[in-house]
Amino acid sequence: MEEKVAIRTVGLRKSYGPVQALRGVDLAVGRGEIFGFLGPNGAGKTTTIRCLLDLIRPDAGTIRVLGIDPQVDPVTVRRRTGYLPGELSLEQNLTAATLLRYLVELQGDEVEWSFVQRLAERLELNLERPIKNLSKGNKQKVGVIQALMARPTLLLLDEPTAGLDPLMQQEVYRLLREAREAGATVFFSSHIIGEVEALADRVAILREGVVVEEATPKQLTQLTMRRVHVHFCRPVDVQGLERLPGVSVAGHNGEQATLQVEGKMDGLVKALAAYPISDLSTESVSLEQIFLTYYGAGKPAQEVD
Amino acid sequence: MFAEFKHMLLRLRGQIFGWSLGLGLFSLFMALFWDTALQMEGLQEMIANYPPEMAAFFGGMNAITSPAGYMNTYYFSMMPVIAGVFAVIAGAGLLTADEEKGILDLVLTYPISRTRLFWARLLALSLGLAIVMVAGWLGWYLPSLGTSMDLSPVAFLLPFLTLFAVLLLFAALALLLSMVLPATRLAATLAGVLLVGNYLLIGMANLNEGLQTVAQATPLHYYQGGFAVAGIEWSWLAGLLAAAFLLAGAGWLLFLRRDIRVGGERSWGLRLPFAGVHTG
Repeated sequence: MEEKVAIRTVGLRKSYGPVQALRGVDLAVGRGEIFGFLGPNGAGKTTTIRCLLDLIRPDAGTIRVLGIDPQVDPVTVRRRTGYLPGELSLEQNLTAATLLRYLVELQGDEVEWSFVQRLAERLELNLERPIKNLSKGNKQKVGVIQALMARPTLLLLDEPTAGLDPLMQQEVYRLLREAREAGATVFFSSHIIGEVEALADRVAILREGVVVEEATPKQLTQLTMRRVHVHFCRPVDVQGLERLPGVSVAGHNGEQATLQVEGKMDGLVKALAAYPISDLSTESVSLEQIFLTYYGAGKPAQEVD
Repeated sequence: MFAEFKHMLLRLRGQIFGWSLGLGLFSLFMALFWDTALQMEGLQEMIANYPPEMAAFFGGMNAITSPAGYMNTYYFSMMPVIAGVFAVIAGAGLLTADEEKGILDLVLTYPISRTRLFWARLLALSLGLAIVMVAGWLGWYLPSLGTSMDLSPVAFLLPFLTLFAVLLLFAALALLLSMVLPATRLAATLAGVLLVGNYLLIGMANLNEGLQTVAQATPLHYYQGGFAVAGIEWSWLAGLLAAAFLLAGAGWLLFLRRDIRVGGERSWGLRLPFAGVHTG
């Protein structure tokens, strides 16, 4: 029976000299998921993806990609994986078609050229133009095509829409959703919150080489963090509320207070029962606000799983 | 593997064509000059009057009245250094040039093992060197049909075999150095310095017998050059090729162990073989 998990990493660590890029990354990406890997530059997203493909080797930890250890059988992993590097470099003197034909040959001729042409049409890319004459966005399209052309079981995409205009970004999202519908797992990194929110079934937030949160975008935005606006009947002191675990006061003006709540609401609701309240409303914060909170000054890194 | 071999050969085609043309034309010119050189009494006299040290340095200039001596003096004695430029630059850049550009990052995510990639590229470079040698050989052989240089095609080929072995050895050395040193350019420079240093050492050893022992431990001591037309030392040729294979093998082992770099990911310091082996 085929494993239900497409990617599993346990305690993944990688250092570059004194710099600890990964400090124990634990991930589990289910088959058929679109999984967003969110983090700012230098968080360790690219390092994690390159470990999955055995381009670099972790110092510690275990990796399974499609049930295979990439250090033991990297060729099988790569045969079933499409990859788009974050820093895409292509041979400048070739045309896009020549480069893609070479990559098709490396893939082992399992690719239908007509599919490559269809992808190029959808992304409005002229394959006959030399790579060196292509704009950054068009080079990115070449990268997207080569990642998708073998209809891989797993797509590892490092910032897939970098350099693309909004229309093409939407087309890439459609292509990725279609790939998922065809059974593929999509694992992509991004620092664009809107992209992750629009595309991902689940999200992991990476901070300083550690996964600090892993959930669906909805869970993150609706359950993990809320803003609570409270109108009191008279001016009150809300210092007592700040002492509640996961509660912080975002704003207080006599009879009004805005509270930010991480985790369950139970404690706050019970505490508010002691106050004279005239109105109360809650608001889910955007993923962007959560992201900023995780990367805000003084926020300690913590492992969720 | 064939896809990578073919692709690498195509990428080298400009260099192969340029070096083939250069060596072919140089060979052609020297072959056509043979009869004239024999008849130029002034030239013979001038060479006879060269200081013996100079003649010794270039390995027997006074023998230019024989085809072997002529070919060696005017062509093969300097060819390891001249054609070595191609071998060393191409060898050093065979993998790490692409790595520095970030191209290798993409290629190695396709289902080709590191072993196949390494040997396919080295095989392509070897064939490229062989094509250059064939161009040089044709440059000697074809005009010889109209000159008094009465040698068989095989005899013309033999010195090119020894040259090929030497070039392959220094290409493999440059490739090995590129696996250890932080930059392709540095690897090419060091390999080039070692090649020129070896060339000078051989010349000096002809003048100073005390250096012979050291010279015997270097590759160019076993390079026969033009004198191979009179009979090739097959054991020397095999030794050079074996050394090239060993150097390439060491480079291959290091390639299996290394992290493929992308710019800005980490420092490009000296890399030593302490990591685990990539089986891919």
